Amino acid sequence: MEFVSYDIESSDFRRAGKASRAIKEHLKRIGADAEAIRRTMIAAYEAEMNVVIHSVGGRLDASLSDSQIDVNVVDEGPGIPDIERAMTEGFSTASAEARALGFGAGMGLPNIRRNSDRLRVTSRLDEGTRVSFTVYLKPETTRASRVISLYASADRCRNCRACLAACPTQAMRVRDGRPSVLEHLCVDCTNCIAACSSQALSIRDEFSSLDDLAGREKMVLAVPPALLAGCGSDYPPAQVLAALEGLGFAQVITVAPFEQALRDAALAGSPGATKSDAGGDSVACRPVIVPSCPAVVNLVELRFPSLVPSLAAFDSPWEAVQATYADRPVAYVVSCPSQRTALLLQSQAAAAAGCAPPQAEYLVPDLVRQAAMVALTGGGPPAAAACKAAAATPARTDPGAEDSATTLAAIGITAPRTAPSALSAPPSTDVDGPLQVTGMSHVMAVLEKVENGLLDDVSAIEPYACEGGCFGSPLFLEDHHVAARRWAQGQSELKGAAAAREGAAARPAAATARRRPYAARPGIRLDADMGRAIQKLGRLQALTRSLPGRDCGACGAPTCAALAEDIVMERAGIDLCPYAVCEKEDADT
Amino acid sequence: MRLEELVEALDLQPLTLATDYGPDPEVTQGYASDLLSDVLAHAPAGGVLVTLQVHLNVIAVASHAGLRAVIFSCDRIPDDDIIEKAAEEGLSLYASPADTFEIVGRLYELGLRGTPA
Repeated sequence: MEFVSYDIESSDFRRAGKASRAIKEHLKRIGADAEAIRRTMIAAYEAEMNVVIHSVGGRLDASLSDSQIDVNVVDEGPGIPDIERAMTEGFSTASAEARALGFGAGMGLPNIRRNSDRLRVTSRLDEGTRVSFTVYLKPETTRASRVISLYASADRCRNCRACLAACPTQAMRVRDGRPSVLEHLCVDCTNCIAACSSQALSIRDEFSSLDDLAGREKMVLAVPPALLAGCGSDYPPAQVLAALEGLGFAQVITVAPFEQALRDAALAGSPGATKSDAGGDSVACRPVIVPSCPAVVNLVELRFPSLVPSLAAFDSPWEAVQATYADRPVAYVVSCPSQRTALLLQSQAAAAAGCAPPQAEYLVPDLVRQAAMVALTGGGPPAAAACKAAAATPARTDPGAEDSATTLAAIGITAPRTAPSALSAPPSTDVDGPLQVTGMSHVMAVLEKVENGLLDDVSAIEPYACEGGCFGSPLFLEDHHVAARRWAQGQSELKGAAAAREGAAARPAAATARRRPYAARPGIRLDADMGRAIQKLGRLQALTRSLPGRDCGACGAPTCAALAEDIVMERAGIDLCPYAVCEKEDADT
Repeated sequence: MRLEELVEALDLQPLTLATDYGPDPEVTQGYASDLLSDVLAHAPAGGVLVTLQVHLNVIAVASHAGLRAVIFSCDRIPDDDIIEKAAEEGLSLYASPADTFEIVGRLYELGLRGTPA
């Protein structure tokens, strides 16, 4: 419901603040928590003052639902020439009059950003500026259980705590010499795995040897390109593929064509990638986010809820493999925890809907790589010879097969397209393709830009949590630059081997429409009861203030604020903080 | 330290009647700035603000930031309507002939603290 609507006059410093004060009264009445009110007020006041100081006049409208308040502040000019600069703390174009009154510190927009949960600023020179922001009114909620595939082993942890700082969402804790993960914050990326020097962090796996995997002869083995390119300089991808085919699976396919299919489909237009603008009109989200990396999708749902509508409504490439081979048992060699979780959730959803869940097994890359290496180096079936023999055999048309181009596509060989994958080839400079962003810190920086409306000149982005895309997962031993090059170089040989392949043809790769709907994922719920949650929030803030603020990690939490939350949620005690303990001892003596 | 004790210790001139607002709260934190956005961004809720600015927007900012009291330094006194506004917002206002540096120093002596960096 719309509940506040105010005209704001230019340079009217005396009446300024009226609209934000009216909002405050309403929020108090509905019993919103104090911190949400405070944040809303600060953001609304700054937005209002911006109109008074900088514009020729404008209007503030606020609307309220039971979970959030949306505030729109629109002015009639002159517009902001450089929004990114205006977002920079300390940058100001305020008049001398405004400055004399204590305004123009260059903190207006930064203050709004800090005090809102979503912010969008759009501006046109000589036409005006629109600042829209949202504040969530309730303490955020947590789903009771959340499936993750990251596995923390207590035995191997050496208590170095490198993972604490590495985690982009502050989900790691190291206590009593053992790492643990807060499931509700984990996005199943690989940052902590990469940071861990003692292999205490990995992906959940059920198999210690390929021999334990029963029923292989009926199974499809689905592998990522990085596995085929990750067996050293002596073994190009085609040879590795042949070696894998010698391991007794019914069929070996790669996920690469599904990655390409997703990219093409997302660029061609995503179903449902629109959102309502302030006027209720449906506008296309720009840029579209290609959901190739499930960890990034998790991150968007957790940390960038306003970008959920920007996610192209397709399954991730692995989920597309699963949909395509739904009637076959498949062993997935997943590159990271997030891929395994995505597949697992898809299976669970199918089971919940009463369908027979697809038969799926998950294998870690190293297990399969070791088996391939044994085969390649002569410990197993003579794979290299088999590969040569396969290459020498004349191509045979399988009656059940699609045309040979499809066959080629299904094992990862595709004709050049308008948008070549930089992740299967040296970095692309093709400006028509999606902007590929790899590595969690870059992904977060770019998503922040998108959220602030600073990336409207890009039509699509394809973010990957791992540096270098899936080639860069720490579960692969080969450096991602090397692996990507080896994969690219191996294409023609793979093509030759595919043309000579006998047996079942791979199915055509296509993007599949998103089956599990995207949903903003609330992070922290302090308590199911809003009253108690607000109390806890107060305690949390007081505790945070009382802690030293050094974020030293000695308590096993990444920051003092994280420890305060742990204490309030009864996951830890204040005695974990060495500074607090010393202070208490000083006070006691 | 209670507000009343602060007023006495610093010999502040009360502009509003603090007793109107119910029990005298404990004040432990403070902030000093003449830039209003800076106050919004950094002033601790429940704290006291020391500033030179005496116009109406100070009241709005102090109220939004959840401050308990404002001390105007260098003998600057806001207009009556501004004082009235503050009273409506439940904000205590005081004036002092001392400059900001002096006032903050005395508050620190009395045990008030800023927000640690």
